[in-house]
Amino acid sequence: MTASDATQAGAADEIAASATALNRRVAALFGRSLHIRTLDTGSCAACEQEIRLLAAPHYDLQRLGFFFTPAPRHADLLLVTGPMLRAFALAARKTYQAMPEPKLVVATGACALGGVYQPDAFSYGSVDQVLPVDVWIPGCPPSPLALLHGLMVAVDRLAAGVGSMSFSAGGE
Amino acid sequence: MPQWFLTGLRRGVVTTHYPARREPAADDLPTPPAFRPEQLSQDRALRLAEVCPSAALAIADGDLVFDVGKCTACGRCRQAVPEAVTASGGFELATGRRQDLVKRIPILASTAR
Repeated sequence: MTASDATQAGAADEIAASATALNRRVAALFGRSLHIRTLDTGSCAACEQEIRLLAAPHYDLQRLGFFFTPAPRHADLLLVTGPMLRAFALAARKTYQAMPEPKLVVATGACALGGVYQPDAFSYGSVDQVLPVDVWIPGCPPSPLALLHGLMVAVDRLAAGVGSMSFSAGGE
Repeated sequence: MPQWFLTGLRRGVVTTHYPARREPAADDLPTPPAFRPEQLSQDRALRLAEVCPSAALAIADGDLVFDVGKCTACGRCRQAVPEAVTASGGFELATGRRQDLVKRIPILASTAR
C-alpha cells in the first residue's frame, strides 16, 4: 500500500519536473513573439469586441510581443470564446490539429468556462470538453486588461494570483 | 477615459503601462464579488445561490462555493444581500489551474439548531 503510494508520489514528482521543463522550453520557444488565433465557438461577440480592443493604441498588445494571425497554421495560441457549440466542435478540433507544436489553448470568458450555458443538445457548455485548455480567463466579457494578464500567464511572464485570493472580505 | 484626455493628450502617449505599472482605469471595471463570512448566514447563502443567474454560487457541505470562472460580475448578489457581499476589485483572475477559480466561503452555523 505504502510502496504503491510512494511510486505514485514519485511518478507525480516526475510529471511535475517534466512539466516545469516543458514550461521552460515553451517560454524559450515563444520568447517575445507569440501569434494568436481567435476562435469563436458561439459567443455573443462581447469577448470578440474586447479582444479586438487589445490591438487598439491604448492596449497595444504588439508592444508585449503578441500578434494576431488569421491562420491556425501560423498560431501558437488559440484564444477560444463561447460555450463550444456541438455544431462547431469538429471545426474547433481541426483548428487545434492544424496548429504547430508547441501550442496553447486559452479559454476566454464565462461561457467558455462553463458559466452561462449548461451542457445541452446544442452546446458542450464549456471549452475544456473538447480542447485541452491551458489557461482560463474569467470575465463576462473579460476586459482587455484581464485578457492581457491572461496572455502573460499563458507565457509564464506573470504568475497567476487568483489561487491565493480568498474572495472573502472578512476581518477588514 | 477622462483622465487619459487630460494626461494622454498632453503627453501624446495613449498606451497603458500595464503590466509594468498599475492601470488606473482598472478601478472602474466590474469585478466579481467578495463575501463577508461573518455576515453569511444560512438564509443569506441560500438567497445568494438562488439569485445567481450563472450558477457561480452554490451550497455544498456547509460552504458557499463560489466559482469565479462562472461569474459574470452582474452584481445581482450584491443587490440581493448587500450586507454580506462587496466588490472584490480584482481583474487579474486568469490561471492555469481551473480549481484555483473555485472558492469555498464558510457559512455561519445556523442558530436555530
